[in-house]
Amino acid sequence: MRRQNQTSNNNIDIIKVIETKLKDKVQIQLGQLGKAAIVTINGLHRDVLKAMVEADEKTAITAITGLDLGPSLGVLYHIRTSNAFLTIRAEVPKDNPKIQTVIDIIPGAIFHELEVADLLGVVFEGNQLVGHFVLSEYWPEGVYPLRKDVKANEIKLNPPPTEEKKQLEYGKVVKIIIGPQHPALLEPEKFAVTVDGETVTKVEPRIGYVHRGIEKAAESRTYLQDVYLVERICGICNTIHACNFVEGVEKILKTEVPPRAKYLRVIALELNRLHSHLLTLGHAGLEIGYETLFQYFWRDREPIMDLIELTSGNRVYSSLMTVGGVRRDLKDTDLPKIKTTLEDLRKKLPFYRQIYENEPSIKARMKKVGVLKREDALKLCVVGPVARGSGVDIDVRKDEPYEAYGEIPFKEIVYTEGDTWARMNVRMDEVEESINIVEYAIDHLPTGPFRGKAPRVVPAGEAVNRVEAPRGELFCYIKSNGTASPERVKVRTPTYANIPAFLKTAIGENIADIPPNFVSLDPCFSCTDR
Amino acid sequence: MTKTKKSRISPMWKRTVSHIFTKPATTKYPFVKPQLPDDFRGQQVFDIKLCVSCGLCSRDCPAKAIEMVEVEGKRRPQFKLDQCIFCYQCAESCPRNAIKSSVFYELATTDKSSLVLKPQTSVQKGA
Amino acid sequence: MIDLDLILRILIFPGFTFILLLTLFCDWVERKLEARLQNRVGPMVAGPGGILQPLADFIKLLTKEDIEPRDAKKTVFKFAPLVAFTIMVFAICFLPIDGASVLSTTGFNGDLIVILTFSTIASFLLFLSGWASCNPYGTIGSARVLTQFLGYDIPLFMLALTPAFVAGSLSIFVIASSQTIPYILLAPWAFVLFIIAMQAELEKGPFDVPDAESEVVGGLETEYTGAKLAFLHLTRDVQIVFGAALVVELFLGGPYGPVFFGLPAFWYSLWFVLKLLAIVIVAEYVTTLFARLRIDQVLSANWRIILPAAILSLMLTVAMVTWVYPLV
Repeated sequence: MRRQNQTSNNNIDIIKVIETKLKDKVQIQLGQLGKAAIVTINGLHRDVLKAMVEADEKTAITAITGLDLGPSLGVLYHIRTSNAFLTIRAEVPKDNPKIQTVIDIIPGAIFHELEVADLLGVVFEGNQLVGHFVLSEYWPEGVYPLRKDVKANEIKLNPPPTEEKKQLEYGKVVKIIIGPQHPALLEPEKFAVTVDGETVTKVEPRIGYVHRGIEKAAESRTYLQDVYLVERICGICNTIHACNFVEGVEKILKTEVPPRAKYLRVIALELNRLHSHLLTLGHAGLEIGYETLFQYFWRDREPIMDLIELTSGNRVYSSLMTVGGVRRDLKDTDLPKIKTTLEDLRKKLPFYRQIYENEPSIKARMKKVGVLKREDALKLCVVGPVARGSGVDIDVRKDEPYEAYGEIPFKEIVYTEGDTWARMNVRMDEVEESINIVEYAIDHLPTGPFRGKAPRVVPAGEAVNRVEAPRGELFCYIKSNGTASPERVKVRTPTYANIPAFLKTAIGENIADIPPNFVSLDPCFSCTDR
Repeated sequence: MTKTKKSRISPMWKRTVSHIFTKPATTKYPFVKPQLPDDFRGQQVFDIKLCVSCGLCSRDCPAKAIEMVEVEGKRRPQFKLDQCIFCYQCAESCPRNAIKSSVFYELATTDKSSLVLKPQTSVQKGA
Repeated sequence: MIDLDLILRILIFPGFTFILLLTLFCDWVERKLEARLQNRVGPMVAGPGGILQPLADFIKLLTKEDIEPRDAKKTVFKFAPLVAFTIMVFAICFLPIDGASVLSTTGFNGDLIVILTFSTIASFLLFLSGWASCNPYGTIGSARVLTQFLGYDIPLFMLALTPAFVAGSLSIFVIASSQTIPYILLAPWAFVLFIIAMQAELEKGPFDVPDAESEVVGGLETEYTGAKLAFLHLTRDVQIVFGAALVVELFLGGPYGPVFFGLPAFWYSLWFVLKLLAIVIVAEYVTTLFARLRIDQVLSANWRIILPAAILSLMLTVAMVTWVYPLV
């Protein structure tokens, strides 16, 4: 069942572990890119990773960033452990960009390596990229878009093939293609599901249908314009993307945000989390054919959209974040309205909890479906409610508090069953916690300015930042070179880290269980493809 | 919140029947229009008397939806509403507060030329 | 000699036109009821209160382009929905609607079995129409339709025979007219089980697996467009009217009810329509309450729960009829 207040009480000092095991072979730069940046040469990144995995079971790869450093390509491994966040730096020369893979140590790194191979041309020995991963099949060979010498407007795609592909052969083992256009998916992705009768044996994903090249586009716009660009990576979790980017820029600038702005940011982020969780809970009802539950949840989501419209001027894209604070203030006359709306929502929650406990058709469709065991969750580096539904207690708001989360008390919700039912319950309990957070923030709102001054030209430097989006841990890496535009912006979204978990949980189950299993991951493909 | 004894019957039976007798939660748009807050980010209202032709709005626009055109010898912004993302960065960047928001949002049209707000005719449309 | 009265009965009332209008009306009742149970308004704009919405949907589908896949089996693809629709309407013509049925005034002994067979043939034709479209989604969808309706036909037959035992005859007219006390009170267990089995036959409610958009896109309707899709939808709706009408005849006393003044035919039709709407409302309410079950859960519910319960209910009814009711 449910474990409360289980924050990480692991006191392993991971830097000491690396120092003792690898002494002079690596160079440790404290305070850079997280808690420390570890510079490795000659492929020692595998040894560092092995040492970390042996010392701490919650070691996971957050992202792998590829950089174009001129004569060489940089590969940064961003690792999170129970109580620290580190980066391992590695470099490969451009004319021989080979580096050893790490998927045998941490299997969850597979998607990250494939993306760096596709977009920058780094060859990972042991994890060969066949075809394309994020780019389309008609992409010209040898053109790596994130390299500095490639201009986005001058790429010519190959023409599509003129002859038709062969018919699928029907036999005992059938391949069913889910997507790209499919009523079960909100956004297009393709999953080729191999079924034997009614049991799934393999799932092959093909992502990249919504790839818009936002990371490349961010390099040609100013920081002020980039806030709006990054916000539009996703429609549902837009506020958190903007907050993530803005915090990264503030880390490079080393500016302090006024306290009132921090609380206003928390209010906006938690309202965003509320509407996103209610959306998923309703969508899950639609997938299992429970249209009544879907209509009820979305009816209760409408007052939250009205609140977002009240505080920011628009129902969906709130555009509240800016470098140095927030763009508009919260009027005192609006505060009672926010409180009454949230109180009404809180009164409706016991009804939904009762349905999840007692409704026999929900229990028949959701219990023991898509079970993800704790060891698999740790090895595949899943984040967000998917991890918290399987007993892994990671939450960036508790592990590394940002904004005003360090001062606001709230519970971290963890369930241990690991099936679809547990993940949905995690989201429902988080709805209540978000209501608590917003009410506390409104009661303790400090006075003062809501915006600080920030220069338009950012000095050279780099920073990493992570926040807790509704779907999990959201990460960004920003590198600036002293001009008005950033040099590299890398965003790793939570659904990108969770899709390998779906590939594992769908195996051995009924094909009719794929939609509820899939929706419980809360997929957002605009986030995945950027 | 007191907890009564937990019943094993799903509450959906009673709730659905009770909804027959309650008012539906639908807003019957377009016969009934919703109430919008005053600072809703709708169509822009441009006050030509305050403009100083600095061009900051056009430079900062993330969607490149503002073009500086010549009007009566001076450069004025022309808004292309089909490209605009209504972020109001232009209103923030303007040093003279010449761009303000309005609550007009029913901008859908079949004629693309009506979505270009020319400087001399930038008046609020409709109600 | 042309029998003008018979032709008018077949074409207008209570024949083809009446059944068509009743189908569209029941569709509107279902959609409006489902909407109000979900706290929203249903169709609102087409006609007063949205009553013309099903007709508007039908006409809209008729104006759409009719595409035939290259690999589909032409004859079956074109005509299966139409033949299924015709057979269902023909089956309804055997039921007494205004005191007499469309085709005859007394029916014949055994017509209950005949119309249940018609319903099975129509469902089989729907399966064939999905199978003939040669689309993977259509194949899976129609295979699910086949397993589901063949499985649930057996308890449905048994439960339909229960009122026949009570009335002592297999003729629908005799069953309907000998219900001085409606059989819903004499054999309520059979009524409840019949409603559940009927939900599964009509692919409604928790058993609407073939309708599962999120898994099989369109099921057996995937390749159908235009006029053929309109007839498929109409066949589905007519099946619902047929199922509800069967319940009315078998358990609620058919069209027979108190006659206050004037023509008995008018009152009999009115009672028929009112009882039909009551059953449609109950079926739609059950649909709104539950999520959709998985296909293996649907089948195991059939073979493990509904079928033994149907056998037990038959035994119970026979026992009650032989020993208990003659004493009362």
